[in-house]
Amino acid sequence: MSDPSRGSLSQINQRVETAYNAAIARIHVQRGVGRMALLLVATFVLFAALNPGVFLSEVNLQNIGLVAPEIGLLSLAVMMAMLTGGIDLSVVAIANATAITVSSLYTSVLNSQGQGAADSMTPLILLAGVAVGVALGAINGVLVSVVGITPILVTLGTMQLYNGLALVWTGGVTISGAPGGLTSMGSTAILGVPVLLLILIVAAVAIAVLINRTAIGRKIALQGANPVASKYSGISARSTLMMTYITSGLLSAVAGLVFLSRSPSASADYGSSYVLLVIVIVVLGGTNPNGGFATVLGVVLATLTLQVLSSGFTAMRLSAYEYAIAQGLILVGVMVLDQVKIKTRKRRPSTDGEKQDAVAEATTK
Amino acid sequence: MRTALGRLRGANNEGLLVAVIIVVAVAMSIASPAFLTPGTFFALVRSSMVPLVFALGVLLVMISGGIDVSFPAIAIFAAYTTVRWAKDGNLDPGLVLIFVIAMVVGGLLGLFNGVVIARFRLPTLIVTLGTQTIYKGVLLTYIGSLYISASELPKSITRLSDVHLWDVPGGGYLHFMIIPVVLVAVFIAWMLRWTMFGRSIYAIGGDAEAARRVGIRVVRTQVWLYTLVGALAALGGVVFVILGKNANPQAIVGTELDIIAAVVLGGASIFGGRGSVVGTVLGVVLVQLINNNLVLVGIPSTWQRAAVGMLLLLGVTAQALGRTRARKRPVIVQKEVEA
Amino acid sequence: MTVVAEPVLEVHNIVKTYGGVHALKSVSISLLPGEVHCLAGENGSGKSTLIKIISGVERPDSGSISIGGSRRSHLTPNEAIRSGVQVIYQDFSLFPNLTAAENIAMLSELAERRRFSSRKRIYAEADRIVRELGLKIDLGAEVESLSVADRQLVAICRALVGDAKVLIMDEPTTALTHTEVDRLFTIVRRLQERGVAVMFVSHKLDEVLQIAQRLTILRNGELVETGPASDYTGRSVAKAMTGREVSEDRLVAPVDKDAALLLDVKNLTRSGDFHHIDLQLRVGEILGITGLLGSGRSEIAEAIFGIRPAHSGEVIVAGQSHKIDSIRDAVRAGIGYVPEDRLTQGLFLDASIADNMVASSLDSYRTKFGLLNRKRIRDSIADLFKRLRIQAPNVAAVVHSLSGGNAQRVVLAKWLDRKPTILVLNGPTVGVDIGSKEEILTILREQAAAGMGIIVISDDIPELVSSCHRVLIVHEGRIVSEFVGEDINANEIHKRMAA
Repeated sequence: MSDPSRGSLSQINQRVETAYNAAIARIHVQRGVGRMALLLVATFVLFAALNPGVFLSEVNLQNIGLVAPEIGLLSLAVMMAMLTGGIDLSVVAIANATAITVSSLYTSVLNSQGQGAADSMTPLILLAGVAVGVALGAINGVLVSVVGITPILVTLGTMQLYNGLALVWTGGVTISGAPGGLTSMGSTAILGVPVLLLILIVAAVAIAVLINRTAIGRKIALQGANPVASKYSGISARSTLMMTYITSGLLSAVAGLVFLSRSPSASADYGSSYVLLVIVIVVLGGTNPNGGFATVLGVVLATLTLQVLSSGFTAMRLSAYEYAIAQGLILVGVMVLDQVKIKTRKRRPSTDGEKQDAVAEATTK
Repeated sequence: MRTALGRLRGANNEGLLVAVIIVVAVAMSIASPAFLTPGTFFALVRSSMVPLVFALGVLLVMISGGIDVSFPAIAIFAAYTTVRWAKDGNLDPGLVLIFVIAMVVGGLLGLFNGVVIARFRLPTLIVTLGTQTIYKGVLLTYIGSLYISASELPKSITRLSDVHLWDVPGGGYLHFMIIPVVLVAVFIAWMLRWTMFGRSIYAIGGDAEAARRVGIRVVRTQVWLYTLVGALAALGGVVFVILGKNANPQAIVGTELDIIAAVVLGGASIFGGRGSVVGTVLGVVLVQLINNNLVLVGIPSTWQRAAVGMLLLLGVTAQALGRTRARKRPVIVQKEVEA
Repeated sequence: MTVVAEPVLEVHNIVKTYGGVHALKSVSISLLPGEVHCLAGENGSGKSTLIKIISGVERPDSGSISIGGSRRSHLTPNEAIRSGVQVIYQDFSLFPNLTAAENIAMLSELAERRRFSSRKRIYAEADRIVRELGLKIDLGAEVESLSVADRQLVAICRALVGDAKVLIMDEPTTALTHTEVDRLFTIVRRLQERGVAVMFVSHKLDEVLQIAQRLTILRNGELVETGPASDYTGRSVAKAMTGREVSEDRLVAPVDKDAALLLDVKNLTRSGDFHHIDLQLRVGEILGITGLLGSGRSEIAEAIFGIRPAHSGEVIVAGQSHKIDSIRDAVRAGIGYVPEDRLTQGLFLDASIADNMVASSLDSYRTKFGLLNRKRIRDSIADLFKRLRIQAPNVAAVVHSLSGGNAQRVVLAKWLDRKPTILVLNGPTVGVDIGSKEEILTILREQAAAGMGIIVISDDIPELVSSCHRVLIVHEGRIVSEFVGEDINANEIHKRMAA
């Protein structure tokens, strides 16, 4: 376009080149989803073939549907943080805080005012539990966006703090008691689909709408893609990061309610192995740990895959430790593979300007 | 602007940390007369020994610009594997060989971390989270999950467990293992300050690309670094077994956050390039001071985790606010930077 | 000053491609001892790639490098350093967390393959070179706390502390004030007397001609010309760099003298940067601001856009006074800003063209349910894509696959979609190819004609001459002259700038 004197051949070359780049870009975008769908089917088929009697039993399949939601919700929470280039290590602690709040409130109302009052106040109690989760998320948000501490340190600290306060509150023991409505929800299914799974689906759709179809959601993704450019575009880092960590807190709180609905007890130490599992899922689901890119569908599929893997391991009578090894290997393996694929990409943005310019300049000639 | 006050604060706020430790100690001795005894002091020393060895490893990684959460898994993996081997073979290879074997095992696990991180330039937190579970899973699945009690441990270990350098009149004692721990700390401090390897770690943490350009072999240095850190973790693991007089494969893992908190409080920067052994020692002491003595001053032990979390948040908040102030101060310098 | 000598370093037919794209197409160059050899070319012409190959940071695809009598296909950083090649990078590549002394000595310590570090030796070494060059640096200070000029001195000392035979300086004057540049040139001449072969990389014509004995010009990865500097004039170098005659034709539509004021800046001051700045901008006007680097011209623009707010003064946009303390304040007041550093400040490189275009106008597409109106977004993106003639297969293409010129159009589109009252552009055509440059200027003229107020901050005088209604010259933080209409001419501007 710039220099008509150059032959049309180079123009065609240029078109091919750019079309190729675009195709690569599309594959890159779809990578998480396509790969995960394939992996999910493959794992499922593998275990179904290895031990159909146990793996395909109704109990096992239902179990997948029951455990996946809480992990999926926590994964979406971490995905939000990773989308901005941060991380949230406090999600499990927040979920437990919500579960403990609901359980304690319910028990104390039950003891002081009886079953009727406790049942009628259940919605308020649940709301209080969610509010606790949101508030804890907001504390993360303030520390990240206003004080300006790097997310990994913030959530490392708040994970300790929230978990520590939960320990103090419960005295380190498992407390029991949960609203009847919540526990019965945990065992209900609509048209064969567990209600808990429906909750995950609703939450996933809501998050997908948030990050793809709303202004704040797009801003969150842009913030993760390049914080400097988003500042120069008038995007407020403060509001995007606040929104991110509050959403993360909200999702964790819902996960906490799911904890309670599966078994009417709460403790500070529940799900301590989830932190790693959830990070594995989020990375496996195609989220860029450096920010800017995430797909909800990829993360949901990764959740199901890991759940299938877990129950498959159980069906094969493999131990929880072997499952842990598999998780670790998957995490490291996926990251290494991704890195090998995009090997040619930048070393350091500041020195890369010229290189990129050179590349780009040459493509248009 | 290096004023007297600035010197007192130290390059990494070491002075400030000393002040905080003194304030906490004074507050504790006011709250409880039982605090101000030699027993408390020597218990603090004893409980700081293992965390300090781990913290030194975390410090090295952090100076190079990374963060490592796999060291507890490496520590117990290496220590347990070694004593398990001795127990199963019904032999006592002797203290030196126990340390050597454990450190070789730890070094190999660290080497794996290093290769994955340096070769593929991956985020260190996520990689070490992954390797942590791998190491722990392999240990419990393939090596052993049984508790090894004092009577089953090699004699060379149990004999050392009760060796005190000094039994303090009025309670408390100084354990023999303080000697190797102090030696290790001095060695790390010396290495960071006086060897090119140490300076290269600072350089890589300061600017990895610049390090490459001046001819530092970044990948090789990082791989060696993680190997060393693995060996260091193993050493900590063996000291842990000696002090505890048992080997529990489920132990240690889960303490990583206390250690990282101590190192961050000790002034090391999570962005790399900054941190000192003195600061790390002080950070470990502060965390242990609080962990050990909350009960003494009448706070239930369940508060420990929350207290350390709070401490970490306060520490990093102070650092972040300090940074903001420093950014705002030299207006002219900043202008030129961006010009 | 003709020194007949063997070349210290020669590169032969170097080819380097990135992802199938040629960054260097068979480039050969030789450096003689005691000679200052300037490598000139626009951004993206391949200068930096060539430097990285000589310093061993990048490997060429083919070609060879001869140094110290041996010929090799490539160098490693260590081999380059040991053969006496030193590079002062544009970003200095210093360690911010180490002292000046250690930064200076680190390189030679490494080259000598030392195992141990000695503070005494390091300070002695650093002190020696600082004295030798007649400089003053606080050796005990951490580099982070030094000023940019001092950092550059540290970088120079580091490069020369060993026995450098070849010194490559990559755009060394970017961050320097005029007097600092003079000091730098003095040092370069001293090095020359010591027999060092200096390769001076720059895109600033006056500097190139002032310091060089020999000139090599790169364009699009190709060596277009090389010869004694005395054979060149500013005009011929510019022509070689851009590949065309520089046009100074003015293509400026008249602006109504009584047109409404869009921007009225009164007494804007930021101590240390600029003082008592008054400027007005009318509907449809394109205002140029120029001055030497460090004169304060960029700082004024950055203050108006709230990046580094002014300490005092008033900014009135379309009759309304605004307090601009942040970028968001400026954006809300109706000001847009196209930054000089497009890659880090202007673009989301890994995002699509479409995402980039609506980055600052997302809120305007909200429906009453809080969702984005995707049809309206698609429409305006398609419209901008066409209007700005962006060369890409479609709007879903990722921005880092675009050329400098197209990338800049995306940044422009981002602001046009927001429809600001005032658009400030800092170096709007830096790193942009000629064709795109003309088109970008045309777009600016169109926007001005449609009623936008435009401020262009630029080094590129011909560009200002060809498109501005008025040009202001900033010197040491003050506006020192103003050219209006037909009085705008390149020679006069050059003269006033240097004054």
